[in-house]
Amino acid sequence: MSKLTVGRRHVLKAGAASLFLAGMPITGFTKTKPPGTISVIILEGGMDGLAVIPPIGDPDLMKIRRAVTPASYLPLNEFFGLHPALKFYAQLMANGHASAVHATAFPYTKRSHFEGQNLIEGGGLSPFSEKTGWLGRALDLSDVAGRSLSLDMPLILRGHHENDNFYPASIRGSRRPNAQLLNIIAMGHQMDAAQLFTKVARKSEANVQVPRDPASLAKYAGRAMAQAEGPVASVIRVGGFDSHASQTEDGDTDAGQLAQQLTVVDDVIAGYRRGLGDAWDDAIILTLTEFGRTVAVNGTKGTDHGYASVGLLAGGALSGSGVIADWPGLSKKDQFEKRDLMATIDYRSVCAACVEKSLGLDHDVIAKEIFYQPDLPRIYDHLFT
Amino acid sequence: MNKHFVIAQKTGLMFRYDQNLPQDMGTWIQKQLQVASPALGIATSDAKVSEWPQNLQPDLSKRASMWRRYRALEKQRREGKNGQDTQAARQANRHENLMREIDEHKFVQRNVYGADQVKLRLTAFWANHFTIGNTFDTGQMIGHAIDEGILAKLNGSFADLLYGMTTHPGMLTYLDNVWSAGERSEQAKGCARKPNCQAGLNDNLGRELLELHTVSVAAGYTEEDIRAAANVLAGWGIDFQKELPEMLKRTGGTNHWNAYKKRWAEPGSKKVMGQRIYAGRSGLRQLTDFLANHDATIHHISTKLCQHFVSDSPTEDQIEAVKSVWRQSDGSLQLIHTKVFALAIEAPEAKLMWPMTWLFQVVRLSGATYFKGWETINDYDDDLMSTKRVFKELGQSFWSLRQPNGYSDNKAEWMSAEMFERRIRFAQSIHKNGKPRQSVGQIMDRIGAAQQTRALVASAGTSPEDQFITLMCSPELMGLEYV
Repeated sequence: MSKLTVGRRHVLKAGAASLFLAGMPITGFTKTKPPGTISVIILEGGMDGLAVIPPIGDPDLMKIRRAVTPASYLPLNEFFGLHPALKFYAQLMANGHASAVHATAFPYTKRSHFEGQNLIEGGGLSPFSEKTGWLGRALDLSDVAGRSLSLDMPLILRGHHENDNFYPASIRGSRRPNAQLLNIIAMGHQMDAAQLFTKVARKSEANVQVPRDPASLAKYAGRAMAQAEGPVASVIRVGGFDSHASQTEDGDTDAGQLAQQLTVVDDVIAGYRRGLGDAWDDAIILTLTEFGRTVAVNGTKGTDHGYASVGLLAGGALSGSGVIADWPGLSKKDQFEKRDLMATIDYRSVCAACVEKSLGLDHDVIAKEIFYQPDLPRIYDHLFT
Repeated sequence: MNKHFVIAQKTGLMFRYDQNLPQDMGTWIQKQLQVASPALGIATSDAKVSEWPQNLQPDLSKRASMWRRYRALEKQRREGKNGQDTQAARQANRHENLMREIDEHKFVQRNVYGADQVKLRLTAFWANHFTIGNTFDTGQMIGHAIDEGILAKLNGSFADLLYGMTTHPGMLTYLDNVWSAGERSEQAKGCARKPNCQAGLNDNLGRELLELHTVSVAAGYTEEDIRAAANVLAGWGIDFQKELPEMLKRTGGTNHWNAYKKRWAEPGSKKVMGQRIYAGRSGLRQLTDFLANHDATIHHISTKLCQHFVSDSPTEDQIEAVKSVWRQSDGSLQLIHTKVFALAIEAPEAKLMWPMTWLFQVVRLSGATYFKGWETINDYDDDLMSTKRVFKELGQSFWSLRQPNGYSDNKAEWMSAEMFERRIRFAQSIHKNGKPRQSVGQIMDRIGAAQQTRALVASAGTSPEDQFITLMCSPELMGLEYV
């Protein structure tokens, strides 16, 4: 069974990450700069929250999932531990600059990657109901006229008309396109296409060099966000969390596929920290994942698609560290549909609190106009006071 | 554009610069759908178009032994043995034993030189529907799946296509099925008694079979259905590294496409979406036939076909027309495709072309030589990039690592500055390095370019390169509406 170590998702670790920046204020357009910045790390594939922040105080944990629980977890308190791959994150926790929310999920229980990813980015009431994303709508409401820089246009940032993506290609026989020609081509196109060609024209005049590895991308994003005219939001996507097989290595529960991906996440957070500099104080970083994984371990030393997971938060805007949870328990009767960790905190409330803190929007406005859920609980005080 | 080119843009890859136009477009489509067609390409950049050599199109057994050889030499390289630890040896190993670059090159040449353009568009649609992402090991098999699993099956039924792609070793590897064991299989039971042995169910393929390849989530199946489907699939497929004789002994199959490991199979019958599926090898065919004829599958895929070829938001009537042909013909792909193309020809709206489709159309219309010949594929060329690199920079390739839901048929997903920048840059690169045989004026005359296109090109000035970029990125050639 040694072949299990080269499962499909393994290769994704080499596939690097992608970065999206949005809401760069343009001089003269922006009335007031928002109080902070917000960065989202999208963890694609469905992260196993129970292995990232193992609830070591739960008597059922080791009975059910010893094979995928890291033996050398770092104890955070008497109930929760931290995966040893999150080294930098552990330091942040010690300094009061990181928190985690556990047993949390978007209200989505059908365990499809594509529906789930669409819902956590769209932030609507059901998958594929929205053509814009919750962060895009938040930027729009906070009135940050802006530009953006990114590899492709993720759903989460759509909704703000000035957001777009840009990532120059490297093609033999072609230079950066001539802006004048692009403007001529734009005139022949309808509004939406014309706007895109005009954007290409504008961007072609700026010489942009973007690194490709996740940690450098994060540092680059942090630096950009630290500038007075820098973007207010950024999104980094990291794949490889769909740990159906070989989630841990034979004989070493600290290593394996999940550990490798967590190292990437840790590097991304460290990259942000370095890049942001003093702007760290007003920064908030949060992770998003489409679902957690089954409580039980499957037949190929992995876990299958589940429901609740964990959300990791970091940044100087946090006012203390901790694991925020209303613990549902792991026994069969406590599990969602007798297989998954139950969600007791709506993760949209976590997103809403981060938007409230970073963009200075009112919770009721966020609930109603961004998440279309007027009675969305406000949990701001648990995270920021 | 005149009617010929409007139809060829929506349903095909445009007529090559030197190709005679057919009298009747309906007959032209039918002829391609009914007849087997060779893979065409060029051996060197100045050679005539001819058929791809057989030795560059190995079968699965040959591919498997090449893969095994590649791995063995890589092992020697890591251990510093047999002079394998040189750059040259490593490169030679890749060139001799890996199929990924040759396969993509063949696909691309065929799309540039092929006389079966309608079929190639359908092949792209289905290769995307049955996405096999490149996880390196699957890279050895993706080209085979596209040629033998899809292109060769376009005249059969959807049920045959579905069964063939579900059991293709590329798919079984990509979605982890080769390592999945039934919950009560002999393998799982035997393993449970040994330390450090793990064997059990992996539901990755079972889930995507229902969600993406057939009924879709709208059908409302449950987790138990997914589990049951995964148990039906358990036992199918085998590690591509295994030599064929050994595999035959262990599985009772005749090649990697029908390898079924009884020891790993789940005993007993299963129930998927209310349908009882019998135990054993034939259970999978029973399951895929049931799914292929399910009304939710017919609706899901008819809608997808309409979105790809007819309209960004197809009407209920259009979708119903395809569904009706599907039901009446028991899923005959030839009749379904004919209906879809008839609707595409009737529908007035333009469709934004996928980046790869647009690129093939630009190269064909202009007569550029933008890709190397099969004999010179590994030679450095000052002007021509490797085929792999072209499609990486373009942002679309069937040999990329991507998620199983494939590329979107939704226009909004492709309307982005990045994608537009790439079209501009590729138009420029094709003009400069591909040395088109046709001038912008000749192309516009031949296709019957619209007045707006002519005016737009005129406003770009007198530089042939600027004119070329403007024409290829005009709304007419991109498949967008005019102002």
